[in-house]
Amino acid sequence: MEGRPLDDVALVERARNGDVNAYESLVQQYQQLAYRVAYQVTGDAADAEDAAQEAFVNAYYALGRFRPGAPFKPWLCRIVANEARNRRMAAHRRTALAERAQQAQASGEAAPSPEAAAEADEFREILVEALGQLRDDDRLILSYRLFFDFSEADMAEALKVPKGTVKSRLSRALTRLRAALPADFQLSSGGSVDG
Amino acid sequence: MAESRRFTDVELEQALRELGPRYPYPPTPNLALAVRRRIVAKPAAPVGRLALWRDPPRLALAAAVLLVLLGAAALINPGTRDAIAHFFHVSGVIVNRQPSPFPSLSPGTPLDLGRRSTMVDAQSVVSFPIAVPAELGAPDAVYVVSGIPGGEVALAYSPRPGIPLVQQTGLGVLVTEFRGDLIPGFITKGVEQGTTAQEVSVNGDPGWWIAGQPHMVIVRVSGTDYPLQLRMAANTLIWAHGGVTYRIESGLSKADAFRIAAGLP
Repeated sequence: MEGRPLDDVALVERARNGDVNAYESLVQQYQQLAYRVAYQVTGDAADAEDAAQEAFVNAYYALGRFRPGAPFKPWLCRIVANEARNRRMAAHRRTALAERAQQAQASGEAAPSPEAAAEADEFREILVEALGQLRDDDRLILSYRLFFDFSEADMAEALKVPKGTVKSRLSRALTRLRAALPADFQLSSGGSVDG
Repeated sequence: MAESRRFTDVELEQALRELGPRYPYPPTPNLALAVRRRIVAKPAAPVGRLALWRDPPRLALAAAVLLVLLGAAALINPGTRDAIAHFFHVSGVIVNRQPSPFPSLSPGTPLDLGRRSTMVDAQSVVSFPIAVPAELGAPDAVYVVSGIPGGEVALAYSPRPGIPLVQQTGLGVLVTEFRGDLIPGFITKGVEQGTTAQEVSVNGDPGWWIAGQPHMVIVRVSGTDYPLQLRMAANTLIWAHGGVTYRIESGLSKADAFRIAAGLP
């Protein structure tokens, strides 16, 4: 999923000059990331697909305004996230990531997990559910950093926020995620937590 | 894992990193093909700002666009409105005659109809009842735009016997519907010498039949990041009824277009 920046620069430059094959290479390289970013916002597979496809098309026609040499990945993700938000708002849907995640797991795994694995599965489900309760921006910044391994600079570009605020935003998102976890996952004495 | 203990940031980050590869995403669809098809169908090459000045045809085009927009602005000016008030018959649309021919503009300019949708979904987005022309039946594709007042729906029909391919759209017939009463000047049409713009009555409502040479269409969506949309359009019948503006674009004759319009409000 992770791109090679030098290749991106060359591909983007060729695409800017109308090379459709070069752009298709970029789409293939980033379609999984784009789809997953969109899914983090919409929580709906069809909406995520629409948003990602629309974002790639819009990004192609906006390449003329793209700064040569700039990183393509965060720029694309910003367009994807905006498209995804538009779709979700248009459909008046609320994200139901947690429910959908549970459905996906229920339908995806045929046999129940062995007991040892069940605990880990349960923990992941709880995390997914807690993520689903967060605002888009929180879920996106956590995804960019911890799922997709973005650098701070890329996160700042993707979220269109000053680079200096990325760390504090990430920390606040973690705090809110912790608050969204069930009570029995928290220290009964209310022990101190950094961040 | 379920011990009663609060996670530190470091532990929570680690848990999320481990979750990442196992997150229950649906399988990623193959977007590359669909994206390629769409940009090949509308192959306007992305051009940087500076390239405009090195590209005389595009520069001329930009000048023509400016001319059309200035013309539109003049129409909106109350001082000139009376003299050409008949241009305002169709809400949401400005038809502007051009004194000189447009520079050639390839038919490959982006045809951005909005997002692909279904009738049910589109109906939940737009603020008016979507009308489907009985003559054509169910559309082959439905697109919807939600970012404008009242929304806009586009019904796309593929070419078929009796309905020729329109080079400008890559479609047979394109029907668009939007709340023209809410978006004055949403569409500006620039009509030059090779195109006829005829005032007509459609189902009793005033409208325009624009035919002949392809004419320029400019769609302006304010308040979004979308660029100004500009493309050449084929024969178009356009009218408004009950606040909704209907537009039929095709390669069909006036009589055929009116037959389609008869099945709409």
